[in-house]
Amino acid sequence: MELATRLPGTDLGSPHGVTTQDKYVHELWTVSYLFSVPIGLLVLGLILWCVFRYRDKGDGSGGGPGGGRTPAQFQYHIPLEAAYTIIPLVIVAILFGFLYSAENHVDSISKTPAIKITVEGFQWGWRFDYPNGHKQVGTVANELDINSEQNLPVLVIPDNETVQLHVVSLDVVHTFYVPEFLFQRDLIPGIDNTFDINPTTPGIYPGQCNNICGEYHAYMRFLVDVMPPSEFNTWYSQQAPNSITTAGEPQS
Amino acid sequence: MTLLEERPQEHPEPSERALMEIIPGPRPHGLVKYITSTDHKQIGLNYLVTSFIGFLFAGLLAEGIRTQLIVPNNHFVTENVYNQLFTMHGTIMLFVFLGPFAFAGLGNYLVPLMIGAPDMAFPRFNSLSYWLYLGGFLLMSAGFLTNNGAANFGWFGYAPLTEAIHSPGPGADLWIIGVGLTGLSGIFTAVNIITTIFTLRAPGMVMFRMPIFVWNQMVTMFLLLLAFPVLTSAFALLWIDRHLGGHFFDQNDGGQPILWQNLFWFFGHPEVYILALPYFGIVTEVLATMSKKPVFGYKGMIGATLSIGALSMGVWAHHMYTTGAVLLPFFAAMSLLIAVPTGIKFFNWIGTMWRGTITLNTAVLFCLGFLVMFLFGGITGVILAQPVLDFQLHNTYFIVAHFHYVMFGGSAFAAFAGIYYWYPKMTGRLLSEKLGKLSFTVMFIGFNLCFFPQHDLGLRGMPRRIETYSAHMGWNFLNMLSSIGAYIAGVGVLITVCNLFVSYRKGEIAGDNPWDGQTLEWACSSPPPDHNFEALPPIRSERPLWDANHPDQLTKVGH
Repeated sequence: MELATRLPGTDLGSPHGVTTQDKYVHELWTVSYLFSVPIGLLVLGLILWCVFRYRDKGDGSGGGPGGGRTPAQFQYHIPLEAAYTIIPLVIVAILFGFLYSAENHVDSISKTPAIKITVEGFQWGWRFDYPNGHKQVGTVANELDINSEQNLPVLVIPDNETVQLHVVSLDVVHTFYVPEFLFQRDLIPGIDNTFDINPTTPGIYPGQCNNICGEYHAYMRFLVDVMPPSEFNTWYSQQAPNSITTAGEPQS
Repeated sequence: MTLLEERPQEHPEPSERALMEIIPGPRPHGLVKYITSTDHKQIGLNYLVTSFIGFLFAGLLAEGIRTQLIVPNNHFVTENVYNQLFTMHGTIMLFVFLGPFAFAGLGNYLVPLMIGAPDMAFPRFNSLSYWLYLGGFLLMSAGFLTNNGAANFGWFGYAPLTEAIHSPGPGADLWIIGVGLTGLSGIFTAVNIITTIFTLRAPGMVMFRMPIFVWNQMVTMFLLLLAFPVLTSAFALLWIDRHLGGHFFDQNDGGQPILWQNLFWFFGHPEVYILALPYFGIVTEVLATMSKKPVFGYKGMIGATLSIGALSMGVWAHHMYTTGAVLLPFFAAMSLLIAVPTGIKFFNWIGTMWRGTITLNTAVLFCLGFLVMFLFGGITGVILAQPVLDFQLHNTYFIVAHFHYVMFGGSAFAAFAGIYYWYPKMTGRLLSEKLGKLSFTVMFIGFNLCFFPQHDLGLRGMPRRIETYSAHMGWNFLNMLSSIGAYIAGVGVLITVCNLFVSYRKGEIAGDNPWDGQTLEWACSSPPPDHNFEALPPIRSERPLWDANHPDQLTKVGH
């Protein structure tokens, strides 16, 4: 399974999201841009204006209107100071409203997911446990080299369905991260983490551990294969219960 | 008895300087002075030089990181060595350079001078802090000399990767002891500087006449007192786990790995402001002096510093959004709120420059670099404070870009501004403006070329701390750009290093007050004598020296 050269097109640098979460992430990005770009430009503009307008030009003409070497020694302007305290507070409150609702959507967990898969991370590899006992496994031992996406463990999930992932670490802290899902969640010993993924676009997406977990952290990669539901059902029915598919090894 | 007879029988004029001169015997200098002195200026210089060496060393490690990542599937260093490089780069930059440079180096040198004190409250205690700090620096770096190499689990060392079973060897132990010692040294410095500020202010120097730099130091020191004991305890627990059979962070025997994250970030987030507030102080002082104006909104500035300090104690879990084990809305709200006092500071800095007469020298250029890049880092910070966006960006290169804009483009540029501003006071000579402006330009270009592309790398899903990457991920060109930028920034830093050496011998003689300074450190000679002041100008406002030098432009008081 080879990736074509990835990401020809992006949304302002981000990959196109391939899950329903894309909507909320996109909305938050838009709101963030709408506030931060004008504010950033305003502050930057004021800084640059000050430097160009009030720099000491060496002819004693600095100090703004009126000139003179020593400028006016003003120090306080209470209405102005109150304004640049209160307006940012309002902006922050608005931003909080948006992020609060987006977060509720993203973190909600369905009671009736189409399939529940357990994702186990370990030094250094992944194991994906399906409800019928089938396991998809892959470790760095079978990885050919970093430039090859063959022999990576594959998480096969259906498109247009709610997939519930329960992530578990077998040793140290790892992170399940798929850039195209615009999402990640840590695998921490002692913490039970469950989340829902609702894919909207079939395809093969790269994923990788996103928390330093020792020597071969960079090689702890996997692929997500999002299949149309019918194709997924066919694939799933072909996997014998309690069978193990190890990437890079003949199927047992 | 002969000793007594040799003393002058008649006491000269009873000024401070004369009192010093009747103490018999030669004054130590050079290495002996470095080792034995308890003078706050000497200890301050010790800190400044040591931490700057730490900066150069950690910078070299960073060039190693960028060389490894310059092309995909590179084999410049092994996986293990790469992990050591980024771990020690982060550890040394934060615990040896960025913190101690400001709160211990500049803090020691300048706080007593700025409040008109002869020395710190506990001079020998102060010396002890420095030697603990130096010991910590040497011990953590000594990991590179051991057979397994230095610590290799990242500067925040998430358990259980740091447990003996996953990271055996003395490198990790040296890291624990080294960071622990720098932490203890920081606590000692905090006690010392707080006591100095509370008890040794000159007559007339009430709290609301202290320079903003001193205010920021004080708030920083309180943060240190709250945060560092937690760090030291966490490190003690980790040591017990590794060597005494403890199981605090070991899930298999009933411990809780997440406990480490909570303890570490409970220290770690105030630490971020410990690394920022003193630098805000530097920028405030430099901009006010160089604009020939008082700090705009002086009291608002102090309020902003205090609220940043208070809020920073309640945001630690925004480093833990993706753990699924923290209350997201609370920490998101607190994190967003910090943007408000930070914004106030920005507008006050602009107000300070507004209608001023700005001398565009190297110190001001570095301050402007700070303003522009800290602004950008602050905006990406507001983006990252939103949990849903953090789910996308956490631990990617977007984070790396964000905190380098804050810590390097922000704090470290302000550190350079401080060097160019106070070097004349410390050595009596001005740094070369020509080399300084060249250094700023090269660093500014190199820095942005290095770190701006990393935002896009993070959006494209490149995780931090990976030793190498596949050529198929769309990350090749941006990594190449970033590495080239890192080399350019390195050259820019070296130009300032040359400047420091050249100007030490050949720099223009500065005089006592080369910038028309406003605060008391410019009232004594350059470098200041032992015990600092022979006489102080009357202190009627937060700019006593300005008032003395510009009687027609007195600072308005009683607002």
